[in-house]
Amino acid sequence: MLIEIAHFLSIVATGLFFLCFIFSIFFDSKDVYIINLVSRIYSHSFFIFLSSFLIYVWLAINDNFSVLYIAQHSNINLPVFYKISSIWSAHEGSMFLWIIFLTTWGVVYNFSTKNDQLLKARTLGIISLTSVGFLLFLLLTSNPFETILPLPPENGADINPVLQDPLLAIHPPMLYLGYVGFVIAFGQAIAFMLEGDPKIKWEKQVRSWSVASWSFLTLGIALGSWWAYYELGWGGYWFWDPVENVALMPWLAATAFIHSLSASSKSSILRIWTLLLSILVFSLSLFGAFIVRSGIIDSVHSFANDPERGLYLLSFIGILVMTSLLLFSLRFNLLISSKKIVSLSKESFISINNIFFGALIFSTMLGVLYPLIYEFIFDQKISVGAPFYNAIFVPVTLIACIFLYFSIDSKWQQSFNLKALYQPLFLSIIFSVIIVSLIFFQFSISGFWTLMSLTVGLIIIIRYLIVIYFYFAYKRFANFFSIISHCGLGLLIISIALNDNLSSERALNIKINETEIYKDHQITFTNLRVVPESNYDSVKADFLVTNPNGDTFTLTPEKRKYFARGQVTSETAIHASVLKDIYMTIGDQLDDGSWIVNIQFNIFIRWIWFSAIMMVVAGLLLVHSLARSKA
Amino acid sequence: MKAIRKQRLATVFLILTTSALGSFLIIRALDSNLDFFFTPSELFLENIPNNKRIKVGGMVLDGSVTRDKTNISFVITDYEGSINVEFDGIVPDLFKEGSGVVVLGYLKDKTVIAEDVLAKHDENYMPPSIDIKN
Repeated sequence: MLIEIAHFLSIVATGLFFLCFIFSIFFDSKDVYIINLVSRIYSHSFFIFLSSFLIYVWLAINDNFSVLYIAQHSNINLPVFYKISSIWSAHEGSMFLWIIFLTTWGVVYNFSTKNDQLLKARTLGIISLTSVGFLLFLLLTSNPFETILPLPPENGADINPVLQDPLLAIHPPMLYLGYVGFVIAFGQAIAFMLEGDPKIKWEKQVRSWSVASWSFLTLGIALGSWWAYYELGWGGYWFWDPVENVALMPWLAATAFIHSLSASSKSSILRIWTLLLSILVFSLSLFGAFIVRSGIIDSVHSFANDPERGLYLLSFIGILVMTSLLLFSLRFNLLISSKKIVSLSKESFISINNIFFGALIFSTMLGVLYPLIYEFIFDQKISVGAPFYNAIFVPVTLIACIFLYFSIDSKWQQSFNLKALYQPLFLSIIFSVIIVSLIFFQFSISGFWTLMSLTVGLIIIIRYLIVIYFYFAYKRFANFFSIISHCGLGLLIISIALNDNLSSERALNIKINETEIYKDHQITFTNLRVVPESNYDSVKADFLVTNPNGDTFTLTPEKRKYFARGQVTSETAIHASVLKDIYMTIGDQLDDGSWIVNIQFNIFIRWIWFSAIMMVVAGLLLVHSLARSKA
Repeated sequence: MKAIRKQRLATVFLILTTSALGSFLIIRALDSNLDFFFTPSELFLENIPNNKRIKVGGMVLDGSVTRDKTNISFVITDYEGSINVEFDGIVPDLFKEGSGVVVLGYLKDKTVIAEDVLAKHDENYMPPSIDIKN
């Protein structure tokens, strides 16, 4: 009975959201009565939809296996935490979660925005429309409420063991929060263009929303990367898998967007960029959903291949993007700013870097779609791997960073004063060249791009350190949000370069009680244990590692065999220190009783995620400060 | 008015040339970094230079897996042709005889020296081109 109620509530919510859209678009959206009405309908339909979702969570916790989806993806033996997270472990449920988040952003916007705000009704209308689009997709093509009647299974299948991981339970929600959060900016942009009044300052109103979504997106991607590192056993943090790429594209667009936004919320300069980017960010988020859901691209992430779903999403996204762009071209004359961008002003740097962001997005898109195009034309399967992306991303990012470096302490709408900045520019370059030369001789790092990356990363960080020094010593202006996030970027570039250049790995063939030596580390295979757990059996191998200083520690990689699906997975063992991770995985046992283990030294890898955290922290601090200045 | 037009024309021209140049560079980078995908039977119909990174997909032939220390060698087949593969390292958990595999590597003396062995997350996975033939 509960299932039918939940299903029914979702249908009702869909209808109400549609009503919300109709009222906001076809009636006078400035009429206070209409705004109040739209706002109320929106909240009601949200709470109806939320109750539907909560009932669904309740069903999952209580192992109601008459729900087909829950029966297929949960299991009676799972801890409650995973029973809940099993909801977003596959297609239908994660779509459900996606829409919950989409509408939640809307309801928070609804409650935190006063009804006299000009664009409110139409923004809510656009949010409702996208929600309706996804709700119809959910109910028509991927219904999570489908039942198995009259005889439900007793135990349920299982959540994929690779996904039974606390991090993976929170990675998708964070990512989705980021993706769909841009619906606020998108909705406001469309509402602004519908209204057609260039005096409305929509950019100011969406800034905190967009930075918040950007922070979630950054966090979601970083968590996914961290999970892949320790769970998949390849020891890398980024694989240029199509699904990673479709998350990277909205991130790049969003990064460009929040930069343009900071310019256009001060003056109307860069307004066209900001509008176009707001449409782009949201479309790329939806495009990501399409790529993952349709299964048209071979990827480790792809959900079951279903052309019907793909077609639905593609048409939905297509209509949304086409309509937005049409509206944009109709309103183009209203958007042209009379002010010109002063060369070497902060705006000029932002617009140059927008071009670089655009180039990166375009290349990534090409890399994702090229295999499809190529196969269609030449009937030959191909894939685009890391070398292509490296060839594009490394030089473009470094050039963009050099522009960033020169933009530090530049002014809005004023050309920058090279003489005043001569000293900090000179100092930061000298210092970083000295440090890079030291690293070059100490660690015998070579390679033009590595050295370039180190230098560029360092000049950014040192330049900001000088800014901080001036702030404390002479009370000069310093924007700490910018400092933290850009130092994060500098650190990211340095970490990636060092990791790429210094990391190493080797496969060892080793028997119990034998010792091998790898890079001055003694590795002794001391013990092998079989440990039964609640839903799997585990084979644990203990290795005693002695590093060159004589310190010892134990690494215990393991292999698990899950009862429910008989699937075997490997768990890595990682010994983390400031500069390097020692990372072990265990492979198969050979006929002579020896085991194959893989040992990796992953240099500086932790700092990659740390730099992402810096960006997230900077973003959240900025949201906090924007919210305070508004109140 | 004329000056403005001239300026606009110059801007449009500049945008077009830079984006054309940019696209040209990107596509060139793309073309020199493609990994071609073959099934074993297609492999010998083509003339593949041994410095070209390729992907080969098929099924691991039953009884073909032999190991020597950390090296593993096996045969990939699409039931029409087959090819030897050599790899140094740990193969994924889902790798087993009679199931689907994709390797990434270089062709050398009728053997693929693999840099990477991929088995799909889904144990029911079949390389797409074999799926059609059977």
